[in-house]
Amino acid sequence: MSSTVLDYSKELSVIEGLPSAATLDEMIEKPINDFPQRRWFIGLAITGTMLMIGVVSLTWLLWKGVGVWGINQPVAWGFDVVNFVFWVGIGHAGTLISAILFLFRQKWRTGIARFAEAMTLFAVLCAVQFVIFHTGRPWLAMAWLFPYPNQHGVWVNFTSPLEWDVFAVNTYFIVSAVFWYLGLIPDFATLRDRATTTIKKVTFSILSLGWRFSNRHWQHYERAYLIMAGFATPLVLSVHTIVSFDFAVSIIPGWHTTIFPPYFVAGAIFSGFAMVQNVLIITRKAFKFETLITMDTIEKMNKIILVTGTIVGYAYIMEFFIAWYSGNATELFVFVNRAFGPYWWAYWTMMTCNLFTPQLFWSKKIRTSLLASFILAIFVNIGMWFERFVIIVTSLHRDFLPSSWGMFVPTMWDFGMLIGSFGLFFTLVLLFVKFLPAIAMAEIKAVIPGAQPTHHGNGASH
Amino acid sequence: MSAHESIIIPKKELPANIVKLGWALTVIGLVLVVLSYVTDAQRAGFNNIIGFTFLASVAVGAVFFIAIEYIAGAVWSTPFRRVLEFLGMLLVPVVLLAIPIFLNFHSLYHWSHADVVAADKVLQSKSPYLNEQFFAIRFVIYIVIWSLFYFIFRHNSLKQDKDNDQARTKKNIGLAAAFIPLLAISISLFSIDWLMSLEPHWFSTMFGVYYFTGSIVTALAVTTYFVVLLSERGYFFKGINENHYYSFGALLFGLLSFWAYIAFSQFMLIWYANLPEENFWFITRWQNGWEYVSVAIVLFHFWIPYFMLVSRPSKMKPRVLKQSAAILIAAHFLDMYWLVMPTYSASPVFSYYEIAFPILSIGLIIVVFAMQAKKYNLVPVGDPKLQRGIDFHL
Repeated sequence: MSSTVLDYSKELSVIEGLPSAATLDEMIEKPINDFPQRRWFIGLAITGTMLMIGVVSLTWLLWKGVGVWGINQPVAWGFDVVNFVFWVGIGHAGTLISAILFLFRQKWRTGIARFAEAMTLFAVLCAVQFVIFHTGRPWLAMAWLFPYPNQHGVWVNFTSPLEWDVFAVNTYFIVSAVFWYLGLIPDFATLRDRATTTIKKVTFSILSLGWRFSNRHWQHYERAYLIMAGFATPLVLSVHTIVSFDFAVSIIPGWHTTIFPPYFVAGAIFSGFAMVQNVLIITRKAFKFETLITMDTIEKMNKIILVTGTIVGYAYIMEFFIAWYSGNATELFVFVNRAFGPYWWAYWTMMTCNLFTPQLFWSKKIRTSLLASFILAIFVNIGMWFERFVIIVTSLHRDFLPSSWGMFVPTMWDFGMLIGSFGLFFTLVLLFVKFLPAIAMAEIKAVIPGAQPTHHGNGASH
Repeated sequence: MSAHESIIIPKKELPANIVKLGWALTVIGLVLVVLSYVTDAQRAGFNNIIGFTFLASVAVGAVFFIAIEYIAGAVWSTPFRRVLEFLGMLLVPVVLLAIPIFLNFHSLYHWSHADVVAADKVLQSKSPYLNEQFFAIRFVIYIVIWSLFYFIFRHNSLKQDKDNDQARTKKNIGLAAAFIPLLAISISLFSIDWLMSLEPHWFSTMFGVYYFTGSIVTALAVTTYFVVLLSERGYFFKGINENHYYSFGALLFGLLSFWAYIAFSQFMLIWYANLPEENFWFITRWQNGWEYVSVAIVLFHFWIPYFMLVSRPSKMKPRVLKQSAAILIAAHFLDMYWLVMPTYSASPVFSYYEIAFPILSIGLIIVVFAMQAKKYNLVPVGDPKLQRGIDFHL
């Protein structure tokens, strides 16, 4: 295949073979109907344990206060903000795939959009817990996070980007959730019609909001979907832009740099795609979705990982170059300190996993290898976690006054909450693939060869 | 069997009045440029930078879109790729426009004076990068990268007209992948060299992205203008319809919004942090009349074309597309003026100096395009994706 030239005059099919609509429904519905396999329970046991570690850490945190974390002067932001930014970043792939790739008419997104969107919602939930508990006394935080008249006499600080975050992340979560639900409605109706038990019938009847597959329903659906995609597109960019403002509006060298907004957005998409890739490869294998999520889709994901990773690399190098070019001694010190100071290992982990190893995806052989894709995607996740660690910790630990320099040492409770967030995320993912259709049934039918009005034949019958 | 056999291209020369207009503008522009240089070489030189960076935007932006067309496997744009391939030829006048700037270098770039650098610690620390030899070497490298890839893309595409060889598409896809990272680095450094270093103390990591985004918006606006103009007069196929127009409109809309996002982020972060080492650049552009130019850019580079193109039907209207494209082309000139001229003058100036280079640039775009169109097919007739592109449907 790779030695011969592709025929560019024909459109490649998004899915393999020519399954009938009923076969598709059956394939996608199978994990929901079947009693879960043993490995699903093993998975749930592992993620559940991780989640419990998080719950214990959280309880201890609430009992003792944020002093149980490793944060102190001069590093007052530690794992809490690192994890927050990390998870919000993960949450960028889903809506990018469902909204931006939809507007770009990328049909290959169809097979993966549904669970990428679900992962977006779960990742945002993971992120939100860190900022809430980072406030120290979350039960009081209501008063300064949401602008409502209260008895404390506290009003929100609208000039702070941290406050903009509250609105950006909430808006993003709500719109993503509505968008996700919108796409699920026709599938709920399919599940309702195919339901064999009363409980399922009633549940899916309620969830499908009276959908009857009528022409008029589809017309409204298509219009709503397009409008939601239009709405969600600027949101994909805005959330991580605002997160980058948290740092960039300050005057801390290493944080205050103008390239932060697009650089953070590219990094978010990068890490989000890597996480989707990891979950995708496992789900595809476990549920035998190989014909619906083709190797071509995985290869395209890898290409996006390569592109966004290289954009992020561009930003790293541009920051370094301008730090030198500015002629500002403090600015340059921060960057040299990042690369060669006490946290050099974090910096070079970041550079290796985010800039260097994704370059392996230039090779088609590696791009189309499941194992290589899976491992490199894990590398990206590690690298992107370290990126936030590097940005936050190395910029703070040696501040303007050398006598107050210090190091950040995380405690076991820091790690406990990090593990807990992974537990929460993967528990939700496992529940999702068991109880809801992991692939959009209605949408995938629209990309079967022959479903489009402009179709010119693919060696297939119409 | 293959798509090209069913396609018959009416090979026509461009409308005579457009070609005449192009030559007239070029000649008038050249006369004004000579007059400018004779009367005030420094002011002419700054305006030369405006015209030069503008034309570089169109040329390099066009090559970027050629690469994107190949690597993304885009289909709807294939019937129009030749327009981009013609516009890339503007790299030749770009090089020519650089010559007078090099000749007047000392009156334009502050950091090129040895005595100034000797008295300035910041400039001393930059001198390994900002020195005339390295500047010239870098310029040669950028031009070599851009033209090398451009001529290979173009060569493969033109040859394909005759031999319909799909391997040429494959070759160009591979080259496009190599070109895009090189372009990202070269155009960023290009903008730092020619525009940011006009104010050698100022720095912004976003600047390269800002210029690049402005460039691709402008290149797309020029392309859209040509496509709609020629399509209306029957130069493309009957199959070209509102689906294709919509794609141009939507892409233009998306990119101009992205430009606004980049421009706003750069401004907002510097304004909010309010550090004297950065904010002076925006303060200069917010006093002595420059604030009107700043506001005009916000309006013409973003809000006006944004509202013109926001609705779905308007993205399909040829008239709206042409108007918004024209506004964006003018806005990019204004943007270059806004980047360059505050170094020359404390308040905005406007005279024949300032119109000489825009007239020349527009004239050159038309002339270069017309010369290419006379020699080559306006449509890549041998491209395997062509039939799919013509049949494109939303």
